[in-house]
Amino acid sequence: MRRQARRWKGSVVSSAPSFLERHEFLLRRLHSLAGLVPVGAYMMVHLAVNASVFGSPRIFQRLVFHIHSLGPVLPLVEWTFIFLPIIFHGAFGLFITTGVKPNIEAYPYNSNLRYTLQRATGVIAFLFIFWHVFHMHGWFHNHFWVTYVAHPLMGAEFSPYNAGSSAALAMQASFLVPVLYTIGILAVVFHFSNGLFTLGITWGIWISPTAQERAKLLANVVFVIFAVAGMASIVGLYSMSQEKIAEVRAEEDEAYKVLVETGDIVPNPEKHSPLSEYAPGKHSDAEESDVEEGE
Amino acid sequence: MIAHANKPKTFFVKILRQDAPGKPSYWEKFELDYEPELNVISVLQKIAAKATTAGGQKTTPVCWDCGCLEEVCGACTMVINNKVRQSCSALVDKLLEDGREIELKPMSKFPVVRDLYVDRSRMFNALKKVKAWIPVDGYYDLGPGPKQSRGDQEMAYPLSECMTCGCCVEACPQYSKIELTPNVGETPEEFEDRKVDTFNRNFVGAAAISQVALFNLNPTGKMNAGERLDALTEEGGIQVCGNAQNCVAVCPKKIPLTMSIGRIGRAVTFNTLRKWFDRPAKKH
Amino acid sequence: MADKRVLVVGGGLGGLSATMKLAELGIKVDLMSLTPVKRSHSVCAQGGINSVNDATRQLGDNEYKHFDDTVYGGDFLNHQPPVYEMAMWAPKVIDLMDRLGVTFNRTQEGFLDRRRFGGTLYKRTAFAGATTGQQLLYALDEQVRRWEVEGLVKKHEMWDFLGPILNDNGQCVGAVAQDLFSMEIKSFKADAVVVASGGCGLIYGRSTMSMTCNGSAASRCMQAGAKYGNAEFIQVHPTAIPGADKLRLMSESARGEGGRVWVPRKPHDSRAPKEIPDSERYYFLEERYPEYGNLVPRDIATREIFDVCVNGGLSVEENRQCVYLDLTHIEASELNRKLGGILDIYRKFQGVDPCYTPMRIFPAVHYSMGGLWTNYDKKESGGLIAGSPKNQATSIPNLYAIGEVDYHYHGANRLGANSLLSCIFSGLFVAPGLETLLSNQGPGSVAAEQPQSLYDEAVKKQQERHESLLKQSGEENPYLIHQEMGALMTNAATVVRHNNQLEEAIGKLADLKARAWKCSLSDTGTWSNQNVLFTKAMQDMFPIAEAILKGALARDECRGAHYKPEFQLPGLTAEDPAEHRRQAEEWCDKFEQNIQKFLKTSVSTYDGKDVTISYEDVDTSIEPPRPRFYGLVGAEQISEVWQERKKKKKEAAQAAVTN
Repeated sequence: MRRQARRWKGSVVSSAPSFLERHEFLLRRLHSLAGLVPVGAYMMVHLAVNASVFGSPRIFQRLVFHIHSLGPVLPLVEWTFIFLPIIFHGAFGLFITTGVKPNIEAYPYNSNLRYTLQRATGVIAFLFIFWHVFHMHGWFHNHFWVTYVAHPLMGAEFSPYNAGSSAALAMQASFLVPVLYTIGILAVVFHFSNGLFTLGITWGIWISPTAQERAKLLANVVFVIFAVAGMASIVGLYSMSQEKIAEVRAEEDEAYKVLVETGDIVPNPEKHSPLSEYAPGKHSDAEESDVEEGE
Repeated sequence: MIAHANKPKTFFVKILRQDAPGKPSYWEKFELDYEPELNVISVLQKIAAKATTAGGQKTTPVCWDCGCLEEVCGACTMVINNKVRQSCSALVDKLLEDGREIELKPMSKFPVVRDLYVDRSRMFNALKKVKAWIPVDGYYDLGPGPKQSRGDQEMAYPLSECMTCGCCVEACPQYSKIELTPNVGETPEEFEDRKVDTFNRNFVGAAAISQVALFNLNPTGKMNAGERLDALTEEGGIQVCGNAQNCVAVCPKKIPLTMSIGRIGRAVTFNTLRKWFDRPAKKH
Repeated sequence: MADKRVLVVGGGLGGLSATMKLAELGIKVDLMSLTPVKRSHSVCAQGGINSVNDATRQLGDNEYKHFDDTVYGGDFLNHQPPVYEMAMWAPKVIDLMDRLGVTFNRTQEGFLDRRRFGGTLYKRTAFAGATTGQQLLYALDEQVRRWEVEGLVKKHEMWDFLGPILNDNGQCVGAVAQDLFSMEIKSFKADAVVVASGGCGLIYGRSTMSMTCNGSAASRCMQAGAKYGNAEFIQVHPTAIPGADKLRLMSESARGEGGRVWVPRKPHDSRAPKEIPDSERYYFLEERYPEYGNLVPRDIATREIFDVCVNGGLSVEENRQCVYLDLTHIEASELNRKLGGILDIYRKFQGVDPCYTPMRIFPAVHYSMGGLWTNYDKKESGGLIAGSPKNQATSIPNLYAIGEVDYHYHGANRLGANSLLSCIFSGLFVAPGLETLLSNQGPGSVAAEQPQSLYDEAVKKQQERHESLLKQSGEENPYLIHQEMGALMTNAATVVRHNNQLEEAIGKLADLKARAWKCSLSDTGTWSNQNVLFTKAMQDMFPIAEAILKGALARDECRGAHYKPEFQLPGLTAEDPAEHRRQAEEWCDKFEQNIQKFLKTSVSTYDGKDVTISYEDVDTSIEPPRPRFYGLVGAEQISEVWQERKKKKKEAAQAAVTN
């Protein structure tokens, strides 16, 4: 929109429309796209990888090692394709959700329910991911922060080189943890699958009522698949016995040793569980000084 | 006939009234004798003639908007028992199936002029914004229009039944009310400009989007499709749609509004990309 | 120098087409309407719009035949040059509407689809679903919006036209109007005013018309001195759904598909219709017209339904006039397939499914053929001189009337699908005439040169009326007076008219009029006071109501929609051929006498107190009048005699020329 001068509250305001106003279309479309790629795509991979823990903690660890084989490039990849897009999608989503007035009571239609849930699950997902990243990764990898802030607050519980065992312990830290994960994952998965459906309308992929009905079916299938995947990882982690955890940890350490030898991963004690034999302070290998920041 | 046998002798109508813009709203209750085959319009006509509340107090007739009374003009939209609809086709017998009271409120997304009468000029403004017309050369005889397939006509006809009644935007959670009042020292023209500017910066709503679908379907209208799509990617354009799909559920003419939104969604995608790639090179 | 401006009052098909054409000619227009123009009553038109087309042409149709059908259908009361011009323009009007994007139904090859309508043998009617009027109106509304953006049109929606402003020379130089919200009364300067305010159905209380069709604009012009033509011709549609608020149209096709009309033989039988055995049902159309049955022509169906209820006292309900229109003997699936759209209207508004319960219907006032008297500039070869400022001009200089409020296209009876045509045509046609008028006025705006006091005075007068109404005290309730007027008019001046009833009604109307000025208002506020606006409109209905009644009383004949059984020419009764022939001759004599006496436009004028009727000749220069026979006994013989006479006249005329 081109406006030379704008009138606001009676007086002529010469400022151009704000960035958000000028680029509303672009920003909304980017927001929509970001929900699918990379955020949604990442979520699918993430849930699929995690679900593997249900069947085999070994496969899970192998997949995590694969991710971490990126080494120093990993933080760059994570920030570009995961954190920044999630922050944009979440923050812009919250911004556009403020000011809308849900009216599900007066218009109790299926689609309106989905609309309302999409916004509610968006907010839940935002809070959940915020907590989840703290719970598993502690937000910052600063040693002091991790030791004196994150750990006492039940944060930074996940250790990538002891993926299965540390995740299981993290999940079992309190009965609240699996409850929160269940709520969070269901919200995220709903938000994604329904978002997939509305994205198709927004971008004009499914137009006719028939096409939209089919797309709705597709969205439902996506929801079921990833909800099951999410639940599988929760159940898998929560139901792991202490003996099994110890056993898994031993296997993880074993694998770590081999992979370091073959040069597939960079040794990093910070990525170990405190209970691992490679945990910082337990061994005095040369790698110990290799403390890295940021993930 | 809907069974009249178990109908009450009288029934109540509760109306959310407001004397003028900016004035507080208040409820007033009226009691009417039951008659078969009443609709909300005839109820309001009876209230106007009687002008007495259920408590027996004299009051002013309720102000409301109506025209054709057969659901083709779009004037008499209001919120009846919490749902937006045309009051002419709201039958008392059906409304009384759930009780002895009918509740009438003005539409909540438009400024109240008085009582149930609202100002929907924002909707007509949206039709200007999206250039909802066929830009013909003129009105001299230039022979017939272009031939059109039956399929196209069948697609266009339902869209062209839109009567700008406002049900779609009233039910839309993304469409919010804009009520402006003139400022001190502002001329009527300045106020009008400010109003149009504010309207243009807020959501156009499903009706206007669907009109773009209609005109971009027409063989002549198609020639200027880009202009209309551009208008829909400005601030307040199609991107504000949140896909709640209430519009299509409440539309009294059953216009496939969400289909129009999908179709225009696709068109603006391509239009924007095309424009971006076709943009003129910067001159130095 | 101020720009010239035209004020158009009313934004239906007529007002919008005039506005759009004026804007194209570069003339600035103020467009005034009681509602957003998109909500005008034209949206209610369902059927279609007529014109000759390539397909009918090859079957022998032409513009002349369309003209002939129109004047024959109108019982020759139409002025022929304008009708001729309209028929010539009809194909162009439809082409234009097609170009404007009207979603007309299409043939499989992509041409406009056509259907057949009453009163013609050809498939002339273009249509857009069952909402042709709505579609046409929207196309024009869009064009006017385009001109609004261009700055040539300024809309004044939610303004009530209170009357034209005349200068000392009696020329119209503007109008006074009132804002429906702020109640502000303001003058509008205009170099010409075009009234396109539609019909006056609300005078009958409930009709098939919209709530804005109160005739007030026409009445206010009449009160300012404009002549009103053919007031007594009001079209009544046989089948409408009676509603507490409005009478909604039920298309003729319900009978076409086998619908049967009946009433219980026992008056107001309280049993459910399906419980009444066949022997106790009175299928009066089938019994009275064994040949045509339920498919008798529209006017006859209307009269018979009316007769059974009003004179026979056999209405289904005691407190309301109605008869059954029964489709329940037909398979529901078949009904929904063929009549789905119109049955939906019944379901929606009555909450009853006509597939299983007979519909209750009654004739309803539908269209006013009469209206403000207008002039035209006739071409020697038939038709009108395009661009002449005389076309569509009322008797007040610079005041014009088009559309339903104009009187001269439909004569005594309007053909289906011709009203949309006349509205658009007269709107398009008036514009070049106005262009000539304005350019004849010389440079600058005439209105702008008038003394300001003229406008101030006009506003003051209206302001006084408004305020005295607010202060008025009395016992009367304007809504109840309107109901009484509606009942009075419906009983006396719709389908069947009797002189004694009309005389009585004129008396009662005068009483009612006196009471109408004793109304006290329940709302005396100064913001959006619908009470006072309604009261003013109601008071202004009286001159037209009086014109209808007086015009009907004075017209002792049957013509089109005006039916007085006492003056109907009876059919031939004699069996003996010679006597039969003699009766036919006599019939034709009487018919010719009747033409001499009554083939005239009734012209009503209002002097501030009473309506006076005078008569004016009808221009039948193109097609001489001939009798209409609908189910008349002896029609063949009469027709034969008539043809012989016509031939003789022609020969005599030729002889006169050769001598």
